[in-house]
Amino acid sequence: MATISSQGIIVGILATGIRLAAPFLYASLGEMFAQRSGVFNLGLEGIMMMGAFAGFMTSLGTGSPWLGVLAAIGVGAALGLLMAFISVTMQAEQGISGIGLHMFCWGLSGLLFRVYLGFITSCKGFGPWNIPVLSKIPFLGPVLFQHNWMVYFSLLLVPVSWFVLYRTTWGLKVRAVGTTPQAADTLGVNVNAIRYQCVVLGGAMAGLAGAFLTVGQANMYADNITAGRGFIAVALVYFGRWSPVGILLGSLLFSMMNALQLWIQVLGISFPYEFAVILPYVMTIAALAVAVRRVWAPTALGKPFRREAG
Amino acid sequence: MSSSTAAAVDAQIRQEVSTVRKNRIVLVAFLALATLMVFGAGYGYGAPAKKIRIAMLMASTIDDMAWSQSMYEGLKAVQKEMGADKLEFVTSERMGNPVDAGAAIRQYADQGFDIIIAHGAQYQSVLMELAPDFPKTTFAYGTGFTTAPNIFAYDPQAQEGAYLLGMVAALMSKTGVVGIVGPVESGDAIKYNYGFQQGVAAGNPNVKVRIAYTGSFGDIVGAGELAKVHMDAKADVLTGSSQQAVGAARAVAERSGVYWMSTDMDQASLAPDHVLAAQVYHWEKVVKDMINYRAQGILGGKHLTLTFADGTLELRFNPKLTNKIPKAVLDRVEKAKQDIISGKLKVELPKAGGK
Repeated sequence: MATISSQGIIVGILATGIRLAAPFLYASLGEMFAQRSGVFNLGLEGIMMMGAFAGFMTSLGTGSPWLGVLAAIGVGAALGLLMAFISVTMQAEQGISGIGLHMFCWGLSGLLFRVYLGFITSCKGFGPWNIPVLSKIPFLGPVLFQHNWMVYFSLLLVPVSWFVLYRTTWGLKVRAVGTTPQAADTLGVNVNAIRYQCVVLGGAMAGLAGAFLTVGQANMYADNITAGRGFIAVALVYFGRWSPVGILLGSLLFSMMNALQLWIQVLGISFPYEFAVILPYVMTIAALAVAVRRVWAPTALGKPFRREAG
Repeated sequence: MSSSTAAAVDAQIRQEVSTVRKNRIVLVAFLALATLMVFGAGYGYGAPAKKIRIAMLMASTIDDMAWSQSMYEGLKAVQKEMGADKLEFVTSERMGNPVDAGAAIRQYADQGFDIIIAHGAQYQSVLMELAPDFPKTTFAYGTGFTTAPNIFAYDPQAQEGAYLLGMVAALMSKTGVVGIVGPVESGDAIKYNYGFQQGVAAGNPNVKVRIAYTGSFGDIVGAGELAKVHMDAKADVLTGSSQQAVGAARAVAERSGVYWMSTDMDQASLAPDHVLAAQVYHWEKVVKDMINYRAQGILGGKHLTLTFADGTLELRFNPKLTNKIPKAVLDRVEKAKQDIISGKLKVELPKAGGK
């Protein structure tokens, strides 16, 4: 029987964990912008489903997963626009409209799949792209530098999001609109325009997260492919306290625990699998309960902006 | 009353009647639409009494390429054989939530469906609760064995084919490690995994079987990730049951030198160069048995099995890959199959809890 070294196991756990974190990073970083501007979008799960479907169908039809990613971003942005219209322009209750959007997307993705395909098949996806030189480094190479480009890009978006949020004028406007919209409005910031931009950006990134599932991970599509990952992504925004670094830590904690439990099971370590499966969730809740003593949130989160009310 | 007044009253009555009719048409159209939306296409009113009407509920969809699709294909085959005028069937998908499932089952029963198939072990308790309210309706579920006067339990002997697949896996593995991507440790999966382990042990006792579960019947992405971990941990033949397993089959297709054994359905179309063999369920006989029992006035109470002996289970090799399997292996597996059919070889089931 072939055996694996203990270093091989650790590399396996870490590499799996980093790969599993990618969809959460995309969706959560996008949702972070939406929430920072004052809109929470619970429809993330549904947008991810539609992004996954668009990515899959486009890759299947054109043979190009790259076009699949673009289609997923487009579909995600369009659904983000719909959510922005409902929550910003129509000022609907955001929790309810988000759930509504999720159910709409779940139904629509299932229907479109049935109409256009109707059977399970596989599509072309991205293979790993080993970064020259870096991927040869012992230990770190296989952990960090032997993934597909979508994994690298998701990690790259963490510093990019941080820079955009804290070091650009637009980021300042986003933060202002999410905490003191009246003041921002007085200073000439178009509150609703910023919110529209953020929710559309969040939608586009949720679409990208969905595309990761189909063309970056599974290379196929089936009904309800997201299996709750969109809701986890929303929770990770709270966990990460609306900061890119916090979201990175939360995503990694959740995914590393998930990778750990998969390896525990596969190695046949005597441990009830039911507990293994819930491990990432329990750890995340525990970390949340211990770490977040003072909960800071964008103060205008969930509140539609009405100029006359100010 | 002058004739002109009478004519006016008459006209008014006509108009009111027409409005009522219009409203009724709108109402009927609305109800019909609502029914269609809830129950999917294919449901027709005013079906002749002799026609048998079957409703099927499932947690996933009719195109999951596994558990649910296999039953759907079985119903379609029986319908084709009997004719659409003799057998009508409708389906409700995505009934994973027991509350939704219970409501749908009750509605189907109210609408006078003859046989209601709740396709999953998880529906046992909801059927046990509802069935006494509809004593003339036949209910069925599986995998299971607990019956009631109007409940059939169907029960594929998944361990039989699993044994044969396990044997092939053990004889084909080069690394000496085979991996199982299980859904949730229950019902069909327990039997399948138990049989697979015995088959591996019979094929080559030095080969190790690693069992892990995703904790979900439908998460294909999770199953794919679990398969990758199995392969990273040196497993070179993998298998798994329920609809989530297609994600694992697809992950196997990404690596060379690794094989997949499929169950419920033949999944070779997903990974033509990696699916070595499949255990295929033929539900036609179970469906026909239920129809025949019902015709004899037996509404339930039977434990219906699918076995190799009665031809409802089939071992199918992928013709594209048969040349990769040594003749000696094929012969051994064929002999084991014949022994299972003759009863000489009995594949064990777990002592406790193996439903």
